[in-house]
Amino acid sequence: MIDPIFQSGNYQLARTLLDAAALRQEAIASNIANAETPGYRRLDIAPDFAAQLKSRCLAGEMTGGANPLQPTLAQDPNARSIRPDGNSVEIEKELLAMNKNAVEYQFLTEVVSGNIKQLKMAITGRVS
Amino acid sequence: MSIIGSIPPSAFNNLSINPLEAAQKTKMAAPMPDGVRLAQPTESFGTMLEGLVSNVSDKQAQAKAVTQQVLLGENDQLHQSVIAMQEASVAFSLMVEVRNKLVESYQELMRMQV
Amino acid sequence: MNLISGVDITSGALTAQKIRLDIVAQNIANAQTTRTPEGGPYQRKIISFENELVKRAGGASLETVAVSGITNDKAPGQAVYNPQHPDAGPDGTVMMPNVNLAFEMVDLITASRAYEANLSVVKNARSLAMKALEIGK
Repeated sequence: MIDPIFQSGNYQLARTLLDAAALRQEAIASNIANAETPGYRRLDIAPDFAAQLKSRCLAGEMTGGANPLQPTLAQDPNARSIRPDGNSVEIEKELLAMNKNAVEYQFLTEVVSGNIKQLKMAITGRVS
Repeated sequence: MSIIGSIPPSAFNNLSINPLEAAQKTKMAAPMPDGVRLAQPTESFGTMLEGLVSNVSDKQAQAKAVTQQVLLGENDQLHQSVIAMQEASVAFSLMVEVRNKLVESYQELMRMQV
Repeated sequence: MNLISGVDITSGALTAQKIRLDIVAQNIANAQTTRTPEGGPYQRKIISFENELVKRAGGASLETVAVSGITNDKAPGQAVYNPQHPDAGPDGTVMMPNVNLAFEMVDLITASRAYEANLSVVKNARSLAMKALEIGK
């Protein structure tokens, strides 16, 4: 009886995307750390995660709850190898991606936080 | 004065002192649309409350499990633990508000003069 | 408790870059050293990196970078004709160290940039964690 109040579409979507954003931050940390290691290929969220998420949303299924969609890390197939030693990390791109990810993460926490605060306000009748 | 005069006296028969009676009469006069069945309660109020309490305790147990994983270092997803704790607290405060309202209405009933 | 994401990876990289900076500093300081305890001029030191697996809670392990070894650069240095130098050989030439200041400065700047990049990663991760703690408040 409690679970339906937490199943607003945007809320579950934001929770799943928050998992993905946290994982992406780790991938970027690994990429920047290994920016000069020979043979290192850059990591990112697996490319089929976005497609799966979109198809689940269009089908109207919940992305969390009983069958959560977990993001995974995989080597980025689109990164070109720009150095002769096989390293495919461009540090400027990584820093930009990190900034973008930070803003996404903060936006997602706002969405989740807003939902929870609204529920609290509705239940207690007091504005926080 | 001419407006009042234009209302026929027979119209006053439909007005009654008790507005509730009129509402009931109108209700019975209107035919029930097909395919509408009045919802019959399937479970008692007591079992519903028990369900609420067990749901809340499930949510609390879930939050406790995730937080324990983070504390022990088995899981590094901090945001999952924070969100689980907040959801558990929302569920708990819902239960507390339901209890408050029940107690309040019980006390209101007890105050009624027989 | 690993609450800041990726902190193990970044700390490995910070240590590696710091060691690299130290080696560059050592090379620059010894750019004119013609006498070493091993005999012969100072040999430029080269640092090499390798992958090191960091075990992550839940999920595949990620790699960080670690120093695999500090070796000498075998290329010979310049031979400068200076018969008055105390370390001059029988033909009057002094073997100078094979340190090229231009290369070392480029290495220095690259190492500093990498160090700063990793610092900003950690700063960012910390601010994300603090923002996550404020959910619902």
